[in-house]
Amino acid sequence: MAEETTVQEPLSPPQNARREALAFVVGVAGWLVPGLGHALLKMWGRALICFFTVGVFVWVGAGMRGNLFTSRGSDAFDSLGYIADLGTGGFYWVARSLEANGPDVSHADGDYGTRFLATAGVFNLLAALHAYEAARGRKA
Amino acid sequence: MTSSTAISGVSALVVLIAVKLSHLQALVLFALVISVAFGFLGRRQPKERVKYILWTLLLFLLVGVGIGWAMYPFSH
Repeated sequence: MAEETTVQEPLSPPQNARREALAFVVGVAGWLVPGLGHALLKMWGRALICFFTVGVFVWVGAGMRGNLFTSRGSDAFDSLGYIADLGTGGFYWVARSLEANGPDVSHADGDYGTRFLATAGVFNLLAALHAYEAARGRKA
Repeated sequence: MTSSTAISGVSALVVLIAVKLSHLQALVLFALVISVAFGFLGRRQPKERVKYILWTLLLFLLVGVGIGWAMYPFSH
């Protein structure tokens, strides 16, 4: 699997600005659709892994009826949970549609589901940041 | 499509995605998936990836079970 990012030569300011803009697009794409950022950089293995990791966590989290936070949180923890859940990008609405019966955290399953959903979001943010840095030529 | 058909379709979907895992199964699933993901993101060479995945998986499981045992006295 060829996933190479070569050491970049110093760029002129216009080229540098263009690369920064491209890296930003890659990062946002990676956030909106898990794995898309790496796919745009032709890092196919990492793209697939990101997509399936977030997909599995969202599926399991929603299947266990974890709490998917909304913007109408009542305290700081709800807001943090909302930010973490939003990290899944488009999968946030997939999770909402999967949880037709709503969350149920009265059992341990629901609590675990909440953690799976939050992990999916935080992991996707990490992956999007990784794609952004790779697009800037910082690491791969 | 009638409303009852739509409701039964939603119910079928909910049944399809309903996940029932024990504590240990949830721990193992989490550790396995996140170890593989970290291995692919953090390492480039296949051999290094495998070593990293196995090491991370082992640590996740050991720490998870260890914390479980550490909390055991407080559950009674």
